[in-house]
Amino acid sequence: MRWRNAWIVMRKDLDEFKKQKFVIGSIVAMPIVLGVVLPLVMFVPMVTMVPLERPWDINGLVEIGSLPNDTIVPWTNQTLQDGSYDSMIFKHSKLKNSSLTHCIIESCIIENTTILDSTISKSSLSNSNLINVTVIRSEGLELDGRYILAISSDLMFKKTKPSEIDQVLPMMFNMILMIFIIVPATLPTIIATYSIVGEKNNRSLEPLLATPTTDGELLAGKIFSAFIPSMGATYLAFSLGVVLLDIVLIPKVGYPLLPNLTWILSMALLAPTACLMSVLACVLVSSKVNDVRAAQQLGGFVVMPVVVLMLGVLAGFIFLSPVMIFIFAGLYGLLDLGLFFFARAIFNREAILTKWS
Amino acid sequence: MIICEKLTKTFESVTAIQDFSITIPDGCIFGLLGPNGAGKTTTMRMLSCLIQPTSGKAHIDSYEIGKKTDAQKIRRMIGLLPEVPGLYETLGAYKNLDYYGQLYGVPKKQREESIQTTLTNLDLWDRRNEPVGGFSKGMKQKIAIGRALIHDPKYIFLDEPTASLDPMAAKIVREYILELKKKGNTILINTHNLSEAERICDMVALVKNRIVKVGNPKDLAKGLFTRTISITMQQIPSTILRDIESLHLISQAQVKGNQLILNVKNPEEDNPQILAWLLKQDLQVQFISEEEHSLEEVYLKLIEEAAQ
Repeated sequence: MRWRNAWIVMRKDLDEFKKQKFVIGSIVAMPIVLGVVLPLVMFVPMVTMVPLERPWDINGLVEIGSLPNDTIVPWTNQTLQDGSYDSMIFKHSKLKNSSLTHCIIESCIIENTTILDSTISKSSLSNSNLINVTVIRSEGLELDGRYILAISSDLMFKKTKPSEIDQVLPMMFNMILMIFIIVPATLPTIIATYSIVGEKNNRSLEPLLATPTTDGELLAGKIFSAFIPSMGATYLAFSLGVVLLDIVLIPKVGYPLLPNLTWILSMALLAPTACLMSVLACVLVSSKVNDVRAAQQLGGFVVMPVVVLMLGVLAGFIFLSPVMIFIFAGLYGLLDLGLFFFARAIFNREAILTKWS
Repeated sequence: MIICEKLTKTFESVTAIQDFSITIPDGCIFGLLGPNGAGKTTTMRMLSCLIQPTSGKAHIDSYEIGKKTDAQKIRRMIGLLPEVPGLYETLGAYKNLDYYGQLYGVPKKQREESIQTTLTNLDLWDRRNEPVGGFSKGMKQKIAIGRALIHDPKYIFLDEPTASLDPMAAKIVREYILELKKKGNTILINTHNLSEAERICDMVALVKNRIVKVGNPKDLAKGLFTRTISITMQQIPSTILRDIESLHLISQAQVKGNQLILNVKNPEEDNPQILAWLLKQDLQVQFISEEEHSLEEVYLKLIEEAAQ
């Protein structure tokens, strides 16, 4: 395969695409409306309901920034068990079967512990009760979370309280993330379904097929020309969404919640593979039908694997953790590879040119 | 050289072209003539490696049509102008030509020069960046011809090259085709325009799903029609049709104004005798000429016979 030829085909398609102002408009507008405007509309009223205290304004808790220079942090690099602690700072410690109130906990491993009115960062939690806490860049399993003030982590709760903000926030983040995955899978259908059948209908396909370009090069060019604008629009909306969400949430939580690892991995792996899958399926459909409308109608089905993932997430069967992202991105990647080779194998110049029924 | 041996293409139950056997020597302009659906475009597509022959063989130089490994090499040697220009309407003429130049691997400098020459010749250089969608049919056709020639191919396949052009533009294209021939290009033309084929083709094949007749356009009429001579005289006596029968050389005779029209078997031998007889009758002969049959007449007669 000469990638140069694929690049030439792609550049020509993008040149044509640039002239279609309405198509560009819809491709840019869709992710912005779904991924930026909609989440903001959901978040702004929700955020106004959350109490305005900053996380470290809890009674008895020493604000990190106001610690005197000579303060000795007492509980560093220690293992503490079966204790009860109030207004302490813990760093690089292991806490087990304890009760913590008004504490700052950083880079600790916490097991079977009840934490109240505290801030936890860069820590690992398991089988613990969190009440009125802020969790920053931590992870945890089987937690019982009540009145969590803010969260920027992957936490697995054993009990959920849907009415409470601490439960709603991760779910909403997951939902917004799903928008950023389903949007790049939907966007390219317009461009990709048009790619081959559009050229056939314009009668520009015959001279193109008469060039020395191979089937693979032609398909690759068509795939990239649909993939690049779709992912470009998605990344633009994603960046805008993250910045605006942080602007809305920072006054409540005191630090930027987004993008966290899950979001970064999703955008780096899951969104492109989902987008590519949609593009490939649409280009395949486009090479098999004679009408742009038929191609677009059939192209609607190609987002099904992404819809399955979305339903799984919304129904609570799937939680988008980094591991899950790797699994799904791997699956989508394999599907992409299979679809490319299948599309190339069934690409038939003769049938494309001569079959009109 | 293009050699076709019993080239056949069948689409399900329909045979588009059958047993198509021709040899097109290098530097020749070869015309394919035939009604719609006669298989001309199918033949051109097979030779462009766009569709596979059902049976038969064809070679372009040493490369075989239908062989996967040769297809790219053949496509590189061919410049194809399809029936419809098929340009990218939102792009300018320059970008349309540049795209194909790149796909054919023409180096940048050569490509730029070639595009500039083509568009200047077509009077389109100043409008090179305007979307071609706004151009007339003729202009589009000219750009499409330029596109087929962008990589300086040895073989040029033109499907109805002057179909949508005005007489002046068609003349320019015909002259251009003759220039290409002078440069040594081999040109295959599908056309309905019989006078055009007569003027520019060295050889033509009349096809109707198979080859009906192949030959030089001027020789195709031989043997097809009774030969007719026309004699113009100052005055024609009313008894001439009856009197001339005594010569026993004429199968049919008629008078049109001051012209005596005679069907004869062999004018080369019969004309001197007829002329001598007329002079003996004290008739003043002004002109004597043989009626020529146009390619159109030949075409219609042959196609009619083929249909029967």
